Amino acid sequence: MALMQIHDPAASPRPVGIDLGTTHSLVAYVPLVGGATCVLDCDNEALVPSAVSYRADGGVIVGKEALKRLRDFPEDTIVSVKRFMGRGAGDAETKRLGSYRFAADAGPVVKFSVAGERTVTPVEVSAEILRELKHQAEDELGEVGGVVITVPAYFDDAQRQATKDAGRLAGLSVLRLLNEPTAAALAYGLDSKQNGTFAVYDLGGGTFDVTVLVLDDGVFQVRSTGGDSQLGGDDMDRALAEKVLQRMGVSDWRTASAQQVSIARTGARSIKHALTERDSVAADIELPDGSTVDFSITRAEFESLIQALVERTGLACRRALRDAGLRPDQLDGVILVGGATRVPLVRKYVEELFGRPPLTSIDPDQVVAIGAAIQADLLAGQNAREDVLLLDVLPLSLGVEAMGGVVEKILPRNTAVPAAAAQVFTTYADNQTGFTLHVVQGERELAADNRSLAHFILKGIPPMPAGLARLEVRFDVDVDGILKVSAREQTTGIEQRIDVKPSYGLSDSDIERMLLDAYDHAEADVSARALREQRTEADRVLGALQTALVSDAPLVLPEERPRIDAAMAALVAAMSGDDHRLIASRIEDLDHVSKPFAGRRMDRSIAQALAGRSVVDLERETATAKGIEPHLGPVKE
Amino acid sequence: MDPFLTLGLARRYDLDEAELERRYRDLQRTLHPDRHIQAAPAERRMKLQKAVEVNEAYRTLRDAQRRAEALLAALSGEAGVPVVDPSEKADPELLMEMMELRESLSEAKASRDAAEVAKLSKRVTTDRDEARGRLTRAFAALPEPPPAEALVPIRAMISRLKYYQRFLDEVAVFEDEALS
Repeated sequence: MALMQIHDPAASPRPVGIDLGTTHSLVAYVPLVGGATCVLDCDNEALVPSAVSYRADGGVIVGKEALKRLRDFPEDTIVSVKRFMGRGAGDAETKRLGSYRFAADAGPVVKFSVAGERTVTPVEVSAEILRELKHQAEDELGEVGGVVITVPAYFDDAQRQATKDAGRLAGLSVLRLLNEPTAAALAYGLDSKQNGTFAVYDLGGGTFDVTVLVLDDGVFQVRSTGGDSQLGGDDMDRALAEKVLQRMGVSDWRTASAQQVSIARTGARSIKHALTERDSVAADIELPDGSTVDFSITRAEFESLIQALVERTGLACRRALRDAGLRPDQLDGVILVGGATRVPLVRKYVEELFGRPPLTSIDPDQVVAIGAAIQADLLAGQNAREDVLLLDVLPLSLGVEAMGGVVEKILPRNTAVPAAAAQVFTTYADNQTGFTLHVVQGERELAADNRSLAHFILKGIPPMPAGLARLEVRFDVDVDGILKVSAREQTTGIEQRIDVKPSYGLSDSDIERMLLDAYDHAEADVSARALREQRTEADRVLGALQTALVSDAPLVLPEERPRIDAAMAALVAAMSGDDHRLIASRIEDLDHVSKPFAGRRMDRSIAQALAGRSVVDLERETATAKGIEPHLGPVKE
Repeated sequence: MDPFLTLGLARRYDLDEAELERRYRDLQRTLHPDRHIQAAPAERRMKLQKAVEVNEAYRTLRDAQRRAEALLAALSGEAGVPVVDPSEKADPELLMEMMELRESLSEAKASRDAAEVAKLSKRVTTDRDEARGRLTRAFAALPEPPPAEALVPIRAMISRLKYYQRFLDEVAVFEDEALS
């Protein structure tokens, strides 16, 4: 199949969706004809193990081959790196039962010491996985365009930012971060063509999410989301691995060698898989010295080991339902996502919790990547499907630390994104000339119990009596769930704006430097890429404006038209040169002169949306546009 | 910003929730950032700002307490009276009652007595629902346009509801922490 593929050199780059998972990752796309499909490797497999192995000679191996090196090079082979994304070096959870050497110099970021005397951050390790997926996609599609990367819905700001950084570091143009349960719902919703309220139960390798959403004629509206970004199939492996280690003669895992840990975890994983089909398993575990010990376990014994883990998911489910204002029996279906939902106990638990058998018709390993590919296609593909829209929410409340260490919530969890909110604070001491602002994310009352995102200081406030200064703090959350904070002192107008970059995150200059350092990026590549990006952007702006000038001609003022035409011509001229800065500034100029026209177009589309269209029109449109059968609402008796 | 105006809905307290949802989705179909990722930067910024405003209006109108406050603010503007009357004081009887309730809540929280918290929560929920019923009727009975003096009792009702709501928010945080 791959050999027969003919690349059309003029074909535009294809948008793709990437599921960057804890245990494995996938890349998928929507072909010109037919439904979304996963890219397969030379063995016809879609799953790429999320394993990266660093060799002493400086080489980097990703995927299946990396996993093979886990046994012999446990310290140089990083698996489950997703659990370290956006985490500080001090997080105890990150270090439990792993086989890694953590760099001592540390600083606030977790770093692994690997072969070749290198230290790598989780963002760099993830970028290697993304680069591998990009190469696989390029083998099948030619050029890869914009990318949608999925993240657990319950990822906080730091974890989202780290994922986006990894995408940039891998040289990808990240269109969007998409929440995994929402991606799964998109894949299911468009497949089943059914309206209603659904819960998505997503238990992956290292993260758990539950999302309640309403699907109504192509609009997927998330009502609530909850979860645990440190709970997954990995934890089942660890619970079982501790038993295997005991059988290997290691009573306390903290005293085990890196190799013993990796043997126990690999063994535990295959035993867990075998117990999905069978009631008991007897395995031979091969020790480092070549001898073997036998280990046997029944499914019931395994289930009692993981019972508490599985029950932890119930809390998040009950809370998500409560936040959505729903009882389990008001749902129309429950969708299962994630490899760990293959465990029979999990299925049984979900069925009891929601009082109905869950939907499993799409492969739980592939459904997220498929949803991501559909979203990428919606955003940047050739097949415009104007009627499908995802409305998502902020998973965890955002706030600032107020006096006494308590959190003043500024945006509560489950607020629809994009979102903004502002709050006014005042000074508590006379002549106070600065404010320290501590931004936190989470649901706990005390700031210290929540995730700390950033500290920043607003200086230069003129001395005033206590309580007189008025500091307005504004939070802006974008559609990726990423926060920007700005603060303004209202009596003087002193303003500061920061992107929340957690202390263990990367700055733009860090990324730039890493890009330059990366083996396949010379300086020339970076500026060539900037030029290509600006040309693409210019193409897009010109195309969109030309279409609008034709379709909305009556909205252009006669005196405006010559200015717009001149700015367009100037941009076209700049595009033929190779100065990406000039193109950028011409785009800005064009943007400026066409802004009033854009404003009129927006006002008209709002007026149209508010005027409402007839139900018949809506149904006809949605039916033809996406192949969904027109449906009738419930009939009132 | 009047959220009723943003969503193109009539100013009333007991609004039609299905209509609210429909308006919200119709607006986001045209304003959501995913809809204009290919558009020119100025258009993207403008629509983003509007999408944020629509989300904020939607959040306000879906929440009974915030909706009441927003409606009062809009009607006050119409009647030409200040939105917040700083001279106004809460009913001393209510203040007393709430102080006692909050004290009981603090004690129950400190001793992790979930049953007692639930009992207090139920009592305040009942009071709140009754007060909300009175408020609904009061809003519905307002003449058009509302004279300034007719808004005074409404303001007192909303302030009472705010005390109940704060109490119930505190209960929700406790219940959340008890869950995890």
